[in-house]
Amino acid sequence: MSENPKKLNLKQRYKLLTRGLDWETTYQPMDKVFPFDTFEGIKIHDWDGWEDPFRLTMDAYWKYQAEKERKLYAVIDSFAQNNGHMGITDARYVNAIKILLTGVTSLEYAAHRGFSHVGRHLRGVGPRVACQMQAIDELRHAQTQIHTLSHYNRYFDGFHDWRHMYDRVWYLSVPKSFFDDAMTAGPFEFVTAISFSFEYVLTNLLFVPFMSGAAYNGDMATVTFGFSAQSDEARHMTLGLEVIKFMLEQDEANVPIVQRWIDKWFWRGYRLLSLVAMMMDYMLPKRVMSWAEAWEMYYEDAGAALFEDLERYGLRPPKYADIATKEKNRLSHEVWSIFYNYTHAAAFHTWSPEDNELDWLSEKYPDTFDKMYRPRFDYWREQAAAGNRFYNQALPQLCTTCQIPMGFTEPDDPTKICFRESVFKHERYHFCSDGCKDIFDWEPEKYVQSWLPVHEIFKGNCGGTDLKDVLKWYHLNDGVDNMDYEGSPDQRLWAEWTANRSKAAE
Amino acid sequence: MTYQLTVEPLGETIEISEEQTLLDALLRSGIAIPYACGHGLCSTCKVDLLEGEVDLGDPSLFALMDFERADGKILACCATALSDLVIEADVDEDEDAVVHPISDLEGEVMELTDLTHDIKGMWIKLPGNGLKFQAGQYVNLAMPGVSGPRAFSLANPPSQPNLLEFQIKRVPEGAGTEIIHNRLKVGDRLSLSGPFGRFFVRKSAKLPMIFLAGGSGLSSCKAMVLDLLEADETEDITLFHGVRAQCDLYDHDLFRDLAESHDHFTYMAALSELNDNDQWAGATGFVSDVAAQHFANGFTGHKAYVCGPPAMIEASIRVLMKGRLFEKDIYTEKFVTLADGEAALARSPLFRRI
Repeated sequence: MSENPKKLNLKQRYKLLTRGLDWETTYQPMDKVFPFDTFEGIKIHDWDGWEDPFRLTMDAYWKYQAEKERKLYAVIDSFAQNNGHMGITDARYVNAIKILLTGVTSLEYAAHRGFSHVGRHLRGVGPRVACQMQAIDELRHAQTQIHTLSHYNRYFDGFHDWRHMYDRVWYLSVPKSFFDDAMTAGPFEFVTAISFSFEYVLTNLLFVPFMSGAAYNGDMATVTFGFSAQSDEARHMTLGLEVIKFMLEQDEANVPIVQRWIDKWFWRGYRLLSLVAMMMDYMLPKRVMSWAEAWEMYYEDAGAALFEDLERYGLRPPKYADIATKEKNRLSHEVWSIFYNYTHAAAFHTWSPEDNELDWLSEKYPDTFDKMYRPRFDYWREQAAAGNRFYNQALPQLCTTCQIPMGFTEPDDPTKICFRESVFKHERYHFCSDGCKDIFDWEPEKYVQSWLPVHEIFKGNCGGTDLKDVLKWYHLNDGVDNMDYEGSPDQRLWAEWTANRSKAAE
Repeated sequence: MTYQLTVEPLGETIEISEEQTLLDALLRSGIAIPYACGHGLCSTCKVDLLEGEVDLGDPSLFALMDFERADGKILACCATALSDLVIEADVDEDEDAVVHPISDLEGEVMELTDLTHDIKGMWIKLPGNGLKFQAGQYVNLAMPGVSGPRAFSLANPPSQPNLLEFQIKRVPEGAGTEIIHNRLKVGDRLSLSGPFGRFFVRKSAKLPMIFLAGGSGLSSCKAMVLDLLEADETEDITLFHGVRAQCDLYDHDLFRDLAESHDHFTYMAALSELNDNDQWAGATGFVSDVAAQHFANGFTGHKAYVCGPPAMIEASIRVLMKGRLFEKDIYTEKFVTLADGEAALARSPLFRRI
């Protein structure tokens, strides 16, 4: 054998390149150098039992990513030069990417920070390298997303101060608190939350709607960004699977801990995706598929295959997945209604769906839409036409866990708002669902610290006592970024463009 | 139309049909390459095309970039074969794999015996040097008048290259097994090609071995166990054979005698649905549960080889994993028939081989 050395395969080469980069510390005990990777109770007996989910070296990484960026920036440039924003289906579409920029871009950046942190704090060199690689990917995604979407900031409102808004605006506390919850957990919970539950189990429900939505509505720059990011996404999904297998195989005692995290982060992720459900069903002038259809395809079918495989380890499907399935025919309507109520405090517009859009919803939701939601939208539309566009002037009660206004309904009664509560140290806390209540009850000390936007307004921590003060504190341009799409500067601009275009065509 | 697909660094050749993606052909042959999305967006299944021509399919321009296309990279989940192919993939080489070239042979049926009411024993004599293979592998038999070959595991050890033994269960409405059970006669000639498969003993691991056989899945386990006993391996060997009732049991005396004469070999038959008139003092229950009782302290530190129908394999994998034995130490050979349908192959990417 030794006389005829064989070419090393990729796995062996990668192992030689990445292992042995660490060492046993001697000036300080290892437990002090890596203080965070044991307190969660996850037992690791053999860090080398880690199978590298992707075998990419930095020089190859730069080469590939540079090529991807060349492609993407060429498309962004040509999109700008050809006034690509004029080619979208309708300016209402732009509100979907306002949510993408304010809500998701900041999550990409948070993921970069989270993986850098975890990459520092896992003592095994294999997972550490994998997390560091993902941290760089996430930074790239944040940057390319900002550059892609910045084109829209030249013409449309609501894009100007997304970083600032992420830390302050009431509904952006939903994605922010989701990620902050993960980042303030231990390193193993973080990777379970983000790499497994979010990037693997739920990723298609986030990604496909935004990217197909962009494609259907003529936004080629965002589509191209999507493909560019998705070519990295597989690495992230594979990391999610590997990390779960690694924990489950290292020690039997890890199984119940992982199960609890999967329960928690499935529900946290699902609640976050309710914003996507609204976007899919209401904000795309040209629809891709309904939320219910997406849920069936990406969760009920693909998820079933995954959880059947995970059963081999003694895990069961996430708790309350059945509730999410029960909610699939009402989720988007309930969330859109919440935002319709509070558009005067949001950095994007809402509107009354047009007749053909209401018909589409009736068709996609035959059992629920005509019965429960269409009459409400018809009424609001009549009122708006009569000059009484409804804006809810009372501040909503928020769920302490997911921070979404308490507008979700009972699992078995879609006409009744679902209220749950827990008492901790003589204080009462409120929740939108059993899923959110369970999460609180497990770690009340953590969630009593939640920065709940409505509470903070009442405490006087948000710039003042009336809405105008709060909007100013949000850096939101009152009368421009907010309110109904009907009559907004976005709408006037779009009407002007399309009028010019039809004039030019004459 | 089918082509030959050779996979480096394994040196192994498999068959691929025109409309089949490379990924599909590889996974069905038990060659685990990394993959994730399955439709050209993620590039996890990127491989090098060394020889031959493919239709690239329609991968995303970011998942397979122009310079990679020019370098001969392809995505296995999208590409289909336009000729015989040689690819290099990120696949784990197995130091216990022995590459035997695939040959096309013709043999003569020497003997046909009913092993049970629905399993036929068939011996085929080969001329010349016979067939070189690793115990546990299978061959494709061409059935006269039936389109497409049928795969059957070899039950004879490699030390017996000229007399191939098969144990073939009758599949209801299965055209291939119907011929073997009802029409084939001693003296008939059959064409076969092989050897195929990655089901073989990892001798280099030097770990005690557990064999779990369900029904006619005993065939490949028989070849492996006989091969090990001939080679004087000293690691402990435990063979569990699971069948329904006493009338389904075969080769029982053979293994009982071998267990008597070899201290390191243990044999247990497990009957799951005894008939009323069965006189059975041995183990009862599903073979996987019987194995779990026998290894009450778990399976850690063993290598397990599982062969049988899909439901039996799945039950065994669960029992083994519950006993803390995981994918890297579990090897399976799934006997998939028409009756099992596509569902038998539907899985998530969580596991690569099992």
